[in-house]
Amino acid sequence: MSTIPPPAIPAPALTCARLAKTYRTALSRGGVRALVGLDLVVPAGQTFGLLGPNGAGKTTLVKLLLGIAFPTSGSSTVLGRPAGDVRARQRIGYLPENHRYPPHLTGEQVLHHFGRLSGLPGGRRTRRVDDLLRRVRLTEWRSVRVHKYSKGMMQRLGMAQAILNDPELLILDEPTDGVDPIGRREIRDLLLEQRARGATIFLNSHLLSEVERLCDRVAILKDGALLREGGVTDLTRPRSAWQIETRAARPDAVAFAAARVPGARLRDGGVEIEGDVTALNGLIDALRGQGVTITAVLPRRDSLEDVFVKVVEEEAS
Amino acid sequence: MRVLAILIDTGRELTHRRTLIVYFGVVTLVLVFFALALRTDVVDGLIASMSVAGLQANASPGGFRLGEGAPGGGMSGLSAEDFVRYVQLGTAFMLYPLAILMSVFATASLIPRMLEKGTIDLLLSKPITRPALFASRYLGGLLTVTLNLLYLTCGLGAILALKTGVWNGGFVWSGLLMSLYFACLFAFTVLAGVVLRSTTVSVMITAALFFASLIVRLPHAYRDWPLLITSHLWRYAAVAFVETLYHSLPRTYDFVRSTTDLIRHEGGVAWTAVGGSALSGGVALLLAIIYFARTDY
Repeated sequence: MSTIPPPAIPAPALTCARLAKTYRTALSRGGVRALVGLDLVVPAGQTFGLLGPNGAGKTTLVKLLLGIAFPTSGSSTVLGRPAGDVRARQRIGYLPENHRYPPHLTGEQVLHHFGRLSGLPGGRRTRRVDDLLRRVRLTEWRSVRVHKYSKGMMQRLGMAQAILNDPELLILDEPTDGVDPIGRREIRDLLLEQRARGATIFLNSHLLSEVERLCDRVAILKDGALLREGGVTDLTRPRSAWQIETRAARPDAVAFAAARVPGARLRDGGVEIEGDVTALNGLIDALRGQGVTITAVLPRRDSLEDVFVKVVEEEAS
Repeated sequence: MRVLAILIDTGRELTHRRTLIVYFGVVTLVLVFFALALRTDVVDGLIASMSVAGLQANASPGGFRLGEGAPGGGMSGLSAEDFVRYVQLGTAFMLYPLAILMSVFATASLIPRMLEKGTIDLLLSKPITRPALFASRYLGGLLTVTLNLLYLTCGLGAILALKTGVWNGGFVWSGLLMSLYFACLFAFTVLAGVVLRSTTVSVMITAALFFASLIVRLPHAYRDWPLLITSHLWRYAAVAFVETLYHSLPRTYDFVRSTTDLIRHEGGVAWTAVGGSALSGGVALLLAIIYFARTDY
């Protein structure tokens, strides 16, 4: 009798257990608490977004995971090894915020330099560098020193550098910062390719629309503590609300109709109503009764930005 | 491969520094001058005749003179060996301090630049340990400076050997000894760089250590000076201070003396002083690595 082995559960890409970091300074007695007992698990293969206002501790968390800074207490693992482990770093790609490359190097030399540092052998490295320079549209600039690159070009070069070693885990700090819309789409396509390849992506960004498009799960940090964590679709699930877009015969007709229906209010040039289908139909009847032409009825969904603002404001109050 | 990556990058960075380019240019000019302008005729190990840039050289009290105004007594039995040593001593006297000065200026920024935000984050995310990263950066700077010194010593040594038939290996060794001296000094530079993260302050501290090492040698050499202090306690404290400083700094005077001795083939290298300097440099480098390995960036 043969037994079928249970499917192997992949180890989480990242774990944090009561992770805390306090920066000691000469002037502050207690130090600056950047992270306060953070518990977090990022499953392998997911695209995970880390959100938070400035000073929330996002960059500190990334630094602790990479071994760039050391925790005050708690522990964390990356790809099954303790954070900062050299063997784990071999399988990581990282794009820091405001990254700088040696200004005396050309774009091609930068990629070769970091390829060598990642342990890529010569032939494979050359092929990979050529391929990536083409992918990020820097082939014509390959022999130009990087101090002549624009911000967007630097960011594209940074992305190429981060995925040079086909990492299992890609940690990105504001990858689309300073990039034009076309460059942003290219970076998004590169990230989608990495996700399709099975890489885990840990994205730290202020561009919530980007995070919403790319990420499976998000965590919201504030003052070093985790406020909310969950799937993007769960956090932004549809509410019992609708947005009705209209074209009114008279300017005050929409306002008049909305005032007569409980739960209805004007929003973004149309009318929004909270309630069930009966309430929705009541509003439609009221609008039609005023001679208003209805052009669209859309179920309302909180955007990630709505969720983020709500969570942060709730915490503040 | 990772250490090689840092070595290559450090070398590339340094070859773009104006200070090292100027030094390289000066040395090249010196070499070209000796290669093109010096003509010698050596007979039985003695300089029979010599001209520099077409001007005939003749012996005169304290050396030789060039041109028509010079007394026409030939080179008065100056041996080719002595001639080579004099030229190399003169070159070492002028170019070694320049080499060390330029090298300190060029390399002092290696560590502070590496520690800049955006650069250090990226380096520390790569699969290389912090001690290996730091040591490679140090080694890269040292190798570049050593190659520059060897360019001078091997180049000039080879040109003079071709012109006179005399090869002075001591000159090449003296270059390597200077390189060891720089290694000791550079260890203190990187220690200052990693703690203070400032190129300017690193250069200032290195210069201060250089002068302190020269100054402190005087009271160390003249052992009667503590008798000027009447209080036993202060005398003991002053002697302890001087001796601690003397033994914990690179011993500049002893290196210079050993260098000239190597070129002249007289006396020997002051191995105790050289070893002591290497030890103090090693301790400074170790402290710098430990500090780097334990600091948040």
